[in-house]
Formats: sequence, C-alpha cells, structure tokens
Amino acid sequence: MADDDYNEMDMGYEDEPPEAEIEEGAEEELENNNEDTPDDVVGAEAEDKEQEKIARARKTTKYMTKYERARILGTRALQISMNAPVMVELEGETDPLEIAMKELRARKIPFTIRRYLPDGSYEDWSVDELIVEDSWKRQVGGE
Amino acid sequence: MAKPEEKLRCTKEPFIEDVGTRRIKSIRFSVLSGSEIRKSAEVQVWNNRIYGHDMKPVPNGLLDPRMGVPNKREKCSTCHGEFSDCPGHFGYLKLALPVFNVGFFNCILDVLKCICKSCSRVLLFEKDRREFLKKMRNPRADALQKSATMKKVRDKCKLSCCPRCDYRNGVVKKGRAGLIVVHDCSKVLDGHTEELKNALQNKKEKVSANSVRVLDPATVLSLFRRMTDEDCELLNLGDRPEKLIVSEIAVPPVPIRPSVVVGSSRTSNEDSITVILKSIVNTNSILKETLHTGGPFTKCFDCWQYLQLQVVEYVNSDAPCLPDSQHRGLVQRLKGKTGRFRGNLSGKRTEYTGRTVISPDPNLKITEVAIPVLMARVLTYPERVSNYNIEKLRQCIRNGPFKYPGANFVTQPDGMKQSLKYGDRRITARDLKCGCIVERHLEDGDVVLFNRQPSLHRMSIMSHRARIMPWRTLRFNESVCNPYNADFDGDEMNLHVPQTEEARTEALMLMGVQNNLCTPKNGEILVASTQDFLTSSFLVTRKDTFYDRSSFTLLCSYLGDAMENIDLPTPALIKPIELWTGKQLFSVLVRPNAHTRVFLNLAVQEKIYSKKKGKKEAGEETMCGRETMCPNDGYVYFRNSELLSGQVGKATLGNGNKDGLYSVLLRDYNSHAAASCMNRLAKFSARFIGNHGFSIGVDDVQPGEHLNRQKKKEIDGGYKKCHDLISLFAKGALALHPGCNAAQTLEHNITGVLNEIRSIAGNVCMDTLHWRNSPLIMSQCGSKGSPINISQMVACVGQQSVGGRRAPDGFLNRTLPHFPINSKTPAAKGFVANSFYTGLTATEFFFHTMGGREGLVDTAVKTAETGYMSRRLMKGLEDLSVFYDQTVRNASGGIVQFLYGDDGMDPAKMEGKDGMPLNLDQLFMKVMATCPQRGSDTLSPEAIKQMLEDKLLQHDTSSDGGCSEEFKKNLTEFLDKRIELMKCTRRALHLHEDHVEKKDSCVEESVAAIISGISAKQLQVFLDTCLSRYQSKKIEAGASIGAIGAQSIGEPGTQMTLKTFHFAGVASMNVTLGVPRIKEIINAARKISTPIITAQLLSKKDVLSARIVKGSMEKAVLGEVAVAIQIVLKSSQPNLIVKLDMQLIESLHMGISADSVQLSILNHPKIKLKSEHVRVIDRAKLRIYPAGTDKRKLQLELHNLKSILPKVIVKGIPTVERVVIDEVKVKNETERYQLLVEGTNLLAVMGTPGVDATKTKSNHIMETNQTLGIEAARRSIIDEIQYTMKSHGMNIDRRHMMLLADLMTYKGEILGITRYGIAKMKSSVLMLASFEKTSEHLFNASYSGREDQIEGVSECIIMGIPMQLGTGILKVRQRLDHVPEFKYQPDPILS
Repeated sequence: MADDDYNEMDMGYEDEPPEAEIEEGAEEELENNNEDTPDDVVGAEAEDKEQEKIARARKTTKYMTKYERARILGTRALQISMNAPVMVELEGETDPLEIAMKELRARKIPFTIRRYLPDGSYEDWSVDELIVEDSWKRQVGGE
Repeated sequence: MAKPEEKLRCTKEPFIEDVGTRRIKSIRFSVLSGSEIRKSAEVQVWNNRIYGHDMKPVPNGLLDPRMGVPNKREKCSTCHGEFSDCPGHFGYLKLALPVFNVGFFNCILDVLKCICKSCSRVLLFEKDRREFLKKMRNPRADALQKSATMKKVRDKCKLSCCPRCDYRNGVVKKGRAGLIVVHDCSKVLDGHTEELKNALQNKKEKVSANSVRVLDPATVLSLFRRMTDEDCELLNLGDRPEKLIVSEIAVPPVPIRPSVVVGSSRTSNEDSITVILKSIVNTNSILKETLHTGGPFTKCFDCWQYLQLQVVEYVNSDAPCLPDSQHRGLVQRLKGKTGRFRGNLSGKRTEYTGRTVISPDPNLKITEVAIPVLMARVLTYPERVSNYNIEKLRQCIRNGPFKYPGANFVTQPDGMKQSLKYGDRRITARDLKCGCIVERHLEDGDVVLFNRQPSLHRMSIMSHRARIMPWRTLRFNESVCNPYNADFDGDEMNLHVPQTEEARTEALMLMGVQNNLCTPKNGEILVASTQDFLTSSFLVTRKDTFYDRSSFTLLCSYLGDAMENIDLPTPALIKPIELWTGKQLFSVLVRPNAHTRVFLNLAVQEKIYSKKKGKKEAGEETMCGRETMCPNDGYVYFRNSELLSGQVGKATLGNGNKDGLYSVLLRDYNSHAAASCMNRLAKFSARFIGNHGFSIGVDDVQPGEHLNRQKKKEIDGGYKKCHDLISLFAKGALALHPGCNAAQTLEHNITGVLNEIRSIAGNVCMDTLHWRNSPLIMSQCGSKGSPINISQMVACVGQQSVGGRRAPDGFLNRTLPHFPINSKTPAAKGFVANSFYTGLTATEFFFHTMGGREGLVDTAVKTAETGYMSRRLMKGLEDLSVFYDQTVRNASGGIVQFLYGDDGMDPAKMEGKDGMPLNLDQLFMKVMATCPQRGSDTLSPEAIKQMLEDKLLQHDTSSDGGCSEEFKKNLTEFLDKRIELMKCTRRALHLHEDHVEKKDSCVEESVAAIISGISAKQLQVFLDTCLSRYQSKKIEAGASIGAIGAQSIGEPGTQMTLKTFHFAGVASMNVTLGVPRIKEIINAARKISTPIITAQLLSKKDVLSARIVKGSMEKAVLGEVAVAIQIVLKSSQPNLIVKLDMQLIESLHMGISADSVQLSILNHPKIKLKSEHVRVIDRAKLRIYPAGTDKRKLQLELHNLKSILPKVIVKGIPTVERVVIDEVKVKNETERYQLLVEGTNLLAVMGTPGVDATKTKSNHIMETNQTLGIEAARRSIIDEIQYTMKSHGMNIDRRHMMLLADLMTYKGEILGITRYGIAKMKSSVLMLASFEKTSEHLFNASYSGREDQIEGVSECIIMGIPMQLGTGILKVRQRLDHVPEFKYQPDPILS
C-alpha cells in the first residue's frame, strides 16, 4: 500500500527523473572515500601502535561510552561463561554478566578499547583508564 | 567437490591454516559472459520434457538431478550432498541466436547511440574522446559522476558521419513493438541514398528504399565485439559490451524453483521460472530446427522474436514490451515488499520467538515481563556448563523437555547435539561436563526482547527480565504501555530470546526498559504511571484524607512485597489520636526509609491548579508562597522527598513531561530510583483502588436541574443569535470579515456562536458536578477523559464537523431531507444539542456518524501514508552516526555535521524546555534544599559573578572540552536573575543592595539570607553539578543518531490527526499542515500547495503604509482599474480607447498611470504591439491602434485586443495570488503589522519598496534555496518542520530536524528524501536496491561494473555483518600484559 507512490509496474524506459547535471566543480568532494574505512586488521600492527602512542596525544573523550561498556561487558561475560579465569573475588555470583560487571567496577577487565577515528587511525584506551560513570544498580534491572 | 567415498584417507589430517571467519569487504557487480556461464554449469539443458514416464526427472531436462536436490528424500548427483547441504548447481541453455537482455536494453541503446554502426568506434572526434576519457579515468570521480559523464558522452555523440570510416550513422531508437532496436537513417541523406532511390524508381517491382533498418541482436553482438576497450571505458562499461547480450542462459538450481508433485497423480506444479524456461527450451529447439533445415526467413525471424520475448519474460515478466504475463520472472522475485531484498535479506525470520495476547500485571516490576510456562518450555537459552551452574543444569536435564525448569537439547563439546526427548536423561545429566552447552528452558531473570508492532521508534522493542508464570498471556506493568503504545483489548506482542551472552548483555545495557525511560524525541519521560495509578494517587493525596495507625501501616505495606524496610513518618496529628495524611503516604512512597538517600525536590503545577486567589480580598498578598495556597491544591511541591502541598496527578506522575516526579528522580538520581518508585506506586495503586473502589454509573452523568435550565437558556440564546445572523445574511447586511465573502463570514460567525454554546454548557456542567463524581475525578487527575468528554455525556454533544466545517450538503442544497432547502440553522447543519445521556435525535445521530466516519477514514489513510514516509526517512538517515571526533558522518565517511546539533548534546538527556540541556530552576531549588546554609556567610552579587567566571574558565581549560556558548549565556542569565531577586529582597528590607553583611549582624540580614541568600558552598555545589551534568549529557560516539532522528520525525506523523489546514492569524489564509506538509518538505517538492511569504514592513506600526505595500504587490489587471475599454470605429483609423479609473487608483494607492499601463501592454507576451501603436493621451487615457494594416482583419483584431486587454497585468507581482495584512498582537495590543503574501516569487516580494527584505521569509524551501541560497534553505527546512509539528502540539528536539536538514542540503543542492534524492545521497547499490527500483539499480551497477564497499547499515544487514556503529564502532583487544597470578599454578619442580 504504502509504496504505491512508487509504481511497481513500470520498468521505466522513458521516465527518467528530471535531474540536474552534476557540475564539474563538484568533483572535488568525497575524495578520500576509500581510505576512510577503518582497517580491519587487529593483531598485525602492534608495532606501529606503539609509535602512534608516542606520536600524538589522544583526543577522544575520557569517559566510557555506553556502547563501549556494553561491548566490553558482553565480551567479558562471554569469556567468563566459557570458564575464563575471573579477576575478582566472587561473593556467590554465578551469572557471567554480573561477574563481568563486578570486574568492571573493580576495573579489572583486561581489555583495551581500540577507538577508530574516521580517517582510519585509532586510539587505544585500556579499560582502567576510562571513567565509567553512574551507579551500577541500574544495569542489573532487579534490586 | 570431491565425492565423500573418494576422499583420500590419511593417517594424519593435513594441516589447514585456520584463517578465522572471513568478512565480506566489498561486492562487485558484473555480467556473466556465455563462456563463464558454460564453465560454471554442471549440465547442459536442452530437453524440453521435465519428467519421464516413470515420473523421474529427464536427464538434460529442466529438473536434471545434477542441478541439485529437489526434495529431502534424494541426494544430489553432482556433490552427493543432502537436501540441507547441497546449495544446488547451475545448468546452462545455449540459445540458437542471441537475444537482448531487457534489463540492459536501455544500456544497449545508449551504447549503440554512441558507436558507429559500421566500425564500432565512438562517434566522437579524437579531441573530445580524449577529454571525456580523461574525465572518466579520473580516480576521484565517483559512480554518480561517471554516469553523468556517460550521459554527456551520449548527448555529444550526434555525429552523422563517423570520423574514422565516414559511414553515415542515423538515429538509434527503440522500435515500436517488442524489443527492437531501429537504426533510422532517413534523416541523414547523402549522395548514395539519392542515387539508390533514383535507381529503385527505375525498377519495375515496387521496392522502396528502406532507410530504417532493424538492428537485430546478432548484428549488435558483432558490432559490440569489435568495440575497442578504450571505447568501452569511455562509455562507463565495466566489462565487454557483448556480455549485455544473452547467448547462453544460466539455468538456476532446482532447489530455488521447487517442483511439487500433486498428490499421487502424474501431474506436477512447476515454479514460474521452470515454466518460462521450458517454453524457452521449446522455442529454442524449434528455432534451431528451422535454421538447420533452412526454413523461410520470415518464419525464422518470427521464431527469433518469440524467443526474445520469452527471454524478456524470464528476466522481467512485467516488462512493458510483454502483453501480460502470468508468470513471475527473476526481477519479480527480487523486487517489492515480499521480494528477496526486502522480504528475505533486509528482514529475516527468526527462531526463539513467541507471540501471544498481552495483559496487565501491576505486581511486576517495570523491567519484567511475565512469560507463560507453556512458552518458557519452548523458548530456550543455550547455557554453557561451567563450575558455577553445573548442578542447576543437571537438574534441568533430568527434568527434560516437558517439565518446567528443564532443557531441550545438550550439545557436547565435540559438536554433537542430543535431544532430551529420547534416551535416558539421568545418564546425560550424570555425564555432563564443563564446556557442554545445554539448551535450557527460559528461567526467571533471563533477558528477553519484547516488541509490539508497529515498531515506530526504538522504544517499541525493549529488553525485559523474564518471569515465568502460569496461564497463557504475556504480562507486564501498565507503566510500560506507553512506549509500546499497547492496550489490553486483545493486543498481541512478540518476544525474542537473545541466544548469546554478548547479545543479552548488549540488549540489557542498551535496550533495557530502565535505560529507555526517556524518549530521544525530546527527552520527555515515556515510561510513567498511567490511568488507575494516577487516579489512586490523586485520591490518596487529597487534602482531607487521614489514616490512623492501622490503616496507614496497611497502606504502607501495599508499597512493596514485604521486602522493603519502611520508616513510619511522624504522624501529622498526634492528639486526640495519631493520624497520618495521604500526602505523607506519598512521601513514604518516594523515600521509604532513611537508608534510601533520595532527596526529591520539585514543584509542578497540576491541571487543576488555578491562578485565582481563594478569596477576592486577598489582593495584596505577596508573591512568594502564593502558589502553594491554590484553592484546588494543584501546586505539587516536594521538598527533600516530602510532599508538602498539592494533589498529585498526571503532570507529576504521568508521561510526556520533563519536570515530573519520575523525570526529576531519573535526572537527579538514576533510572533505578525512578523505576523503583514506579514499581511501588503500581503495586500500591492496584491494591488501594481495589479496596477503595472506583466506578462510573448512570447517575454520574445525570445533569442537575440547574444545569438543564442553564443549558436550555444558552441553546435558546445561541439559536436566536444564529437566526439573526442568517436573516442578516439573507438581507445581505452582514459585516464581512477581511478576506471572506458573505457565506464564509456567516459560517464563521455561526460556528463561533455554536462553539460558545458548547463551551458554556460544558463549563456549567463541570461547575455543577459533585466533587466525588468519578468522571470528574478522572479528568482532573488526567488519567482518562477531558472536560469536553464529560460535558458531551452530561450537557451537550455540540457541533459535528466534517472536513473542518459544518456538515456538508448531501442532498440538493440541504444536508438531509428533514430540513428545508438552503437551511443554515444550527440543527440543519449538524449541531447536536442533546447530550449522550438524554439521547440523540435521528438527524443528530446521523450527523454524529458523519463526524465519526471521518475519523475512521483518516486513520486508515494516514497509516499507509506515514508508514511510507517513515520508511523513506529511515532509508535516508539510517547510516548517520556520531564518530569519535564528534562529527556526524555517513557510512562512507562523508561529513554531514561537524558537531551534532551544533552543541553535541544528546536529545534524550535534555532536561530543559526547547532542548536546553539543564533545567536550572529545578536544579537550583534542589541545591538550595539539599545543601542548607550553614555558617554565616552569604555571597554578595560580585562574589557570585566572580565565582561563576572562575568556574567557567576553569571548566573551559579542562580536558573535557568546555561547553557551548549558549549554555554559558543561560547560566549567566540565570544567576543574574537570582542576583536581581536578591537585590530586590534586600531593597525591600532596606539593606544595602550590593554589600552583604554577616548573617548574624542584624535581623534583616538573616531574613534576607534565608529568603534569597546564596552561600559559597551552595553556589559551588550548584555550579559543579551544572557543569558535570552538562558533560554527562554529551552525545556518545557510536550513537546511530540518524535512525533516531528518522524515528523521531516519523513517529509523531502517525499521531497527527489529518487536520490539514489552519488559519495563519487571519481568516481564510490557509496553510497546509500535518502529514501533507511534512511530506512536501521532505520530498523537497518544487510546487507546494500553499506557498506563503511572510513579509515584514519597514514601518511596522503604520496600517496605511502596509496597505500601500500591499497594493504594490497584489496583481491588478487592466480590466479592474479601467472604467472603460471601447472600440472607436472612426473613418481615419479605428482604435481602442482605455480609460483608467483614477479615483479608484488613488484611493487604493496603486500608483498606476497611463504611462505605466502603456509599458505593461507593450511587455505583454501575447500582444505584439509597438510603442507607436499605444499612445498615451493624458494620464488617464490611452489610445491603442491595431498593428495590422490589413483592412479586412481589422475588425477581428480589434475585438481580439479588446478581449486580451482586460487581462493585462498592470501592477503587482504576477505570481502573487493575494496579500493579507496581518496584525501581530502581543497581549491584545497591536505590536506590528506584517504582510502575508500568498504565492511565490520571494525575490520580487523582497524587492518591493517598503518591505524589510532581511526579515522576510518564505515557506517554500526550493524557492528559498534559489533566492537566498542553501544555508537559508537549511534553516527554512528546520523551521518549517518545527512549525508544522508545533501546530499539532508536538514537541520534537530541534537537533533531529537539523540533522534531516543537513542531510538534505549537504551536497550543495536540496535533495528530497525520495528515491531520486536518496540515489544522489548514497552510493551503495545494495542499499538503493533494497529501497526502491531494485532491478534498475542492479542492472545499472552491473553495466558499469560497480564495486561496493559493505559499510552502510542496509548492506551490513543484507550481508549479515555487524555494522560500524553503536557497539560496532570500536574493537576490543585482550590485554596480555598483566595476567594475574593464579593460586593453583603447579608447584615448581626444582625449588
């Protein structure tokens, strides 16, 4: 129904949309498109990571975003559920997610976050360097 | 693929490097050549029979078993795979003669237009060719630019003579019927054709020189084969052009076109594709036969044509050259809502889901959902066995699939999956090891996703904690109805169970109910108490409710489930007996015990709050403290979690506000505080109102005697007024409204009178109702119903409207045959004087249904329209997200905004009005209350200012990056106001304004300090909270702000009643509003239905000058300003005389003279006169002579002129329809005049003398763009959407509109969110194909050999890859530097 604006029937040989010609001056934009995509290689660049760290100061926020928190806790909870050694003293918790949260509260999660900037470079922040805000009760949902 | 039995068995498996999972990075579109098809095929198909006599597929037939497994019983004879393993294999079909591919037909035509039909070179001179080639090879050119260049090349290739071989080229066109290319050389004649024609004429047979030749596919193929690679590149071809012509058809594998044998009979149902292919095979063999035996040429040709059409049908059965097809071609499989792209790739079917009816349960927490046991036994979660859960899982396995906390499957570490339905479960449980995966039943506390369609915004799917309960419905707390827009009249909802630890963590963290209490649309709270919860809170906080110890403690025990400690407050009355008030109960509800460190401070005006003083003599009361003395007790005031005054209702507890109780709890404390408060209220309310009782009866809507009398008086009076108006109208003595005719004025007046009747009757009704009346209570606390609803039941239903006016005439000049013709009386036009209680008369009832139906039709029409709008918005904005450098970019890295919303704030977290980050008043109040003045110092005004400056400076230089200028300005202004207040107080107390003494120096000082003093500590706390909270409200990197914006604009659209028009200040100046207007803006329509230019005047307060400017803009034709246009037939020279009405011209300040008229006549495009023909006699007279000299035509020409002349525009802007002077009133006083110009041509309006061009704006976005530029257009888009939304009472954060406007303008031209605009914004083929025009995008992409990066949201979903936003924006790496030392490490061998 909703798509009726779009006439499904026509393959459209004649009805080309009225479109403005692209000016030649417009060629300049979007130059680095292909270089922009973040590199997917993770392990191979340990050396130039070191260099980069020295080369310039990190500019991104010192607060941990909620996406980072979710991702770290998820990854860590998965590890814990697969019997990874736990970094904190347990007090009867069995749920991997709760253990992961406890670890994060104690800043004991052995992860580094690699934040990619749009130009493909990245910054590494270890979890204990980042400020995790807000109380912890809210994530648990229950009391 | 090797057959399994032939596989080489080694004693040791060869080492295969594990490269891990691979990711699709990009996808290239291309066309397969004949030989490629042949190579990839397993079998040649030539047999036109499908099944043999034994009902087995015929070898080399269309269902040859080598092409894959048709059903579960058989095995693939190519790879020996099972039905579930074998993906199928292709076959091929060799065509006797090549045919065109419809999808590429336009491309083929374009290529043919560009090349010489003899030597296959491009029809360009060498210089041009090189230039274009250079442009084409530019590495920076993107696909869009390349195809534009290709179009330029095509338009340039108009040479009739090939520069290389001198062959004469004609025009290449599409043939009339069928799929034919025609080479028309008739226009290009040269010596040869002339000669040929002459020669043919001499021949006896009638053979005409046919200069129109048909280019058949074989000819085209040979032409294409000879094209050079460089020319191909020039024409933006990604590959050799001969591939565009089909010579071999790839026959798709059998599994994708299943054949169904009907019962046990010998017939089978074949898929469309098989049917079409079968007829292709048939035709092909006939054609081959004919060619082989050398049949007649025409027969061959017909057969070839037929084959061509069948191949067309195979590709696209809706192609225009086909008559009409019964089958579904390949394109039909892909396109449309249920096609492959939208139906299977962008949206997939899932397991682990449930759906059933929903019902309410206030005893559940808002984060929970009750799942029936029946459902929990089917939905499972794969839990990995570890030391912690092994016993629990063993018990689950023992219980098995049919007993509730059980399990359905166990997967061993080696990957073997075992069902627990069969076998001895106790053995399985015993053998359970760490590392196994048990698919256990859902249990309490599991994370599930809960969803209700239509999913219009992200709160339509949220994650809850499961609670397994008996019975058969899904249950949840009513407070969560709002985000889902659910009620319990039979609604069903869906449930999904995330299957991995990561998924459930992300679901809980990002989609949890407690993390989505606020809508990102504008930061208002969405999950909040509703309906009964509001009613019971309202009842319990009434001023006159008192409870003794037993009942108060009972009520307190309602709050929780006996798990919470409750500290009983001090009773409000101690003697004669201890009594507690209902308000105290609410204080307990907010802060049940001393350990709960929640100090709530808020002040809200409820609906019942009235500004009227209780008694009239209280005239000289002071300002402060008056609000709390509201006679209706409507001012809710919490101080340090104690309810001091006010009867709480919707404004405090309900949804859709930013300063209610829950919002404040959420902002000042956390979501948990708000959520637990909601839980407590829900529990309390359900129990309280169950005991208290609350219902409606007929006696609730019975009008009293007084009301009946009042109503009769009102209605009689109103009817009389209407009759007077009607008789005035009949006499023609009605005083007209500006810009209206008599009938419109009458309607307007009568509507006013009738509405007044209704509202007066309603007011009387509300006043006379008893205070315990249930509907009244419900409307007062805001739980359900409005005063209008009540008065419709009790007093009077009122005027029924259809299409915004009174009931239309369904019969000849009357609404119904019950009334006299042309009757305009209230009753005859749909006024319902009765109430629902007294009952409607027959005609009234009919009018009521008319009004009711309009509403129903509206909703039906609206859903489809807004749905499509939302979809387009979503497609346009889906991949915009915030990056780590705070920029907003699309998936390919193109910048849309440098800083989101100009300040980088998250709309979901905004506290103040109009998207301000903080509500400073509230925050200040809280600080003053929670941080009392101790010691003796209050700050002087200078000290306050100094401190503010220091703080801001310190903040700016800190690493957080400071805050926006606007916020700083607001903060400064707020403190200035405070200082002003302080000075005011001190002045009243006769103290020195700027110089603050110690508090204990005198009584006045201490009073001033208490009233408005600010201590250093308080100010510091306030400023620190402001700044730190400001920081926490910044938008986080990774937020998919585009999708949120699209939802925030799309979702309110569904709520917009189709109230299309409204009056822009003046009657009869209509502006399109609602969904149609939003559509116009988003589509970037070139022609909008009501273009209006608002022009400000240079002399604002002068009506006369406004009239003059108006007169100079409004278009006037000669007919209007002329007294006479006469034909003068005199012997000498017949002519026309035009006499101007100078009196009129002067009185209207039009400034027209004979000279100006002469000029406008000469400039008129249809009158071709020269200046000597139009002669000015004096300032009011012109004489016009016809141009022609022909005597016979003279008469005709004169009359012609006479008919045209009155239409000549002599003054004003032609595109302007109307100009209305609008009086802008501020507090009933005329502040200024402005002009509302209906029509276009902003430039001319701005240029009109007397108009303030810098303040004049148009609501036409495209015109604004042309006149003022792209930035003005962007601003205009933002303002127009905002205005439209506001006029429907909807409040949307400005940042969403900014993002939309930026997206529409960031390419430098305005791109609408339509299929054309989006195609220019996005480069991804897959994304565009999943939107609209699927096949076209795919064919074009393969023509030019596009290579697509998989980076956008749509592409990632199609490919099944996590996308680069949200949690996908970062990478997590394991840190190996400090592995902790474990206690259980082995003892050293040597010590």
